[in-house]
Amino acid sequence: MKKILGIVAALGMLLASTAQAGDFAEEKIVLQISDPNPFKQTLVLNVAGNVLKHYGQDKVDIEIVAFGPGLRLLFAENANKGRIKSLTDSGVKFSACKNTVKNMSKKLGHAPALNPAATQVGAGVVQIVDLMNKGYKLIKP
Amino acid sequence: MINKNIFTKTLSAAAVVAGLSAIQVAEAANWLMLQGTERPGAAGRAKVWGFIQAQYQSDSSEPFAHPTQGDLYVPPKLIGPNLTSQEQFNVNRARIGVRGIGMPLDSTVNYFLLAELGNNGITAGNGGAAMISDASITINTDAVRIRAGLFKTPGVEEGLQAIHVFDYINFTTVTNQLMLERFPQTGEANTTAPDLTEGNPNSINNIARPVGAFRDTGVQFFQSYKMGKWDHSYAVMFGNGNGLNFGNTADGNMDTYLYWASELAMGGKGPRAQGLKIFAWNQSGKRLNPNGASIDDVQDRTRTGFGVKYLKMPFRVTFESMTGEGMIFKGPHQPVGNYNDLTASGSYIDFGYYIPNSKWEIDLRVDTYTRDENATAEATFDTTTVGLQYHINKKSRVNMTYDMRDFSSEVAAANNQLKGVGDRLAVQLTHIF
Repeated sequence: MKKILGIVAALGMLLASTAQAGDFAEEKIVLQISDPNPFKQTLVLNVAGNVLKHYGQDKVDIEIVAFGPGLRLLFAENANKGRIKSLTDSGVKFSACKNTVKNMSKKLGHAPALNPAATQVGAGVVQIVDLMNKGYKLIKP
Repeated sequence: MINKNIFTKTLSAAAVVAGLSAIQVAEAANWLMLQGTERPGAAGRAKVWGFIQAQYQSDSSEPFAHPTQGDLYVPPKLIGPNLTSQEQFNVNRARIGVRGIGMPLDSTVNYFLLAELGNNGITAGNGGAAMISDASITINTDAVRIRAGLFKTPGVEEGLQAIHVFDYINFTTVTNQLMLERFPQTGEANTTAPDLTEGNPNSINNIARPVGAFRDTGVQFFQSYKMGKWDHSYAVMFGNGNGLNFGNTADGNMDTYLYWASELAMGGKGPRAQGLKIFAWNQSGKRLNPNGASIDDVQDRTRTGFGVKYLKMPFRVTFESMTGEGMIFKGPHQPVGNYNDLTASGSYIDFGYYIPNSKWEIDLRVDTYTRDENATAEATFDTTTVGLQYHINKKSRVNMTYDMRDFSSEVAAANNQLKGVGDRLAVQLTHIF
């Protein structure tokens, strides 16, 4: 009995991890924000919203990777935090470049407070390359 | 008039309660926030912006036929700021500025710089030279925001609002006379209302310094709080009381400005955010009257007002009422001094209708102003303005207004000058960049 339960649990975990990888998604898109222009923040969120609306929440995986000056999008105080929360609730992932955080910390004298929706990744560019290797298409609005 | 002490205590108590609530700081669409702060984490180092307003105005007032001096014109019968004619083209505003966050990584500090290059009360008194109208720095903390420098004072809605989205061309008489402060200097006494046909048109406008433009140099403490669908804002400011002129006034006293607004958000953002706003304000200070009986004629100057503004497409309704005591402006014309120590009050109501599925907007405004109340020189100024706007796009529009004015006084000498004030047509093109 224990053996069967173990197999069922392992199968469940496997299915869950497969689903997280987005195998059921018809499209996988990574959006890059690295521009200091505040208008680009609005634009990248608009694009994410439009893609989500077009394909439907279950048919597309979207990850927004922020690095360089674009990391300001993922500051906790950012004026777009309401929209970020809304997109997160719809399944959009947000990644923050650790290298940029480190560099900004030196300039600020302290680490910038990040949006709780943001996951820190080693390097924003490497994260994009990794995602592209997994079949994601790169869009840089 | 609202008792100042009660107003101050209420304001302070409300601010403390709001602060103790530790609620989320609002991103409210209100003038304090729109002009004094930037969007955190989403503002650039330097955003260049500005606007140009080109206009035509025609005044159909009749001059006073003086038995010996000819046909005389007082300021309301002439087109400002030059007051040389009853019909003219003008570039009344041409402003360019830059605003943002000097260090975009840290939204704690932002700035606002704006210069006026047009021909109006700001520049005309200064020989037409460009003037800095705003130069301020704001420090933002969760508890309070501190804005220092030269900027719009918290007060009358017509003055505090962004002028490039003002729905009319000319201010109401009450705002123009009671709130748009003039700063004559000693020696700039009244002149005779000119006879335009006698080659003496310029003597009427001899105040050399710029109008206050609803601005002052000082420091303002303010904050905005979001509570459900309501945004509550307060401001307490201390200033020189000298308008766009640098340096404290000769009286040596500081002006105090108090402001409270509560707004029920109904959608949209920016200067045309929809909602229901209730507001009240008080301004107090002292002035040295350059036309006073003696050289040390220091007068108290107090202004108090309250109002409500409702904007929900396709309708807009605004009402504001205000009173003032001391330094009541008479205008640079005979027969009395520029200022007196009497009281005045006025109000206006404005209706706007944005015609659905079109670019047209219809406006109607009724305003009244009573100057030198309960004195022999009491005068009343009633105006009804009909307006039409065509919004070419979000940044460009054409305004057309027609003012029907009924000015009068019980005093014959004053009434002689006022009774001929007639209708005024204005057309204005605005482009924001």
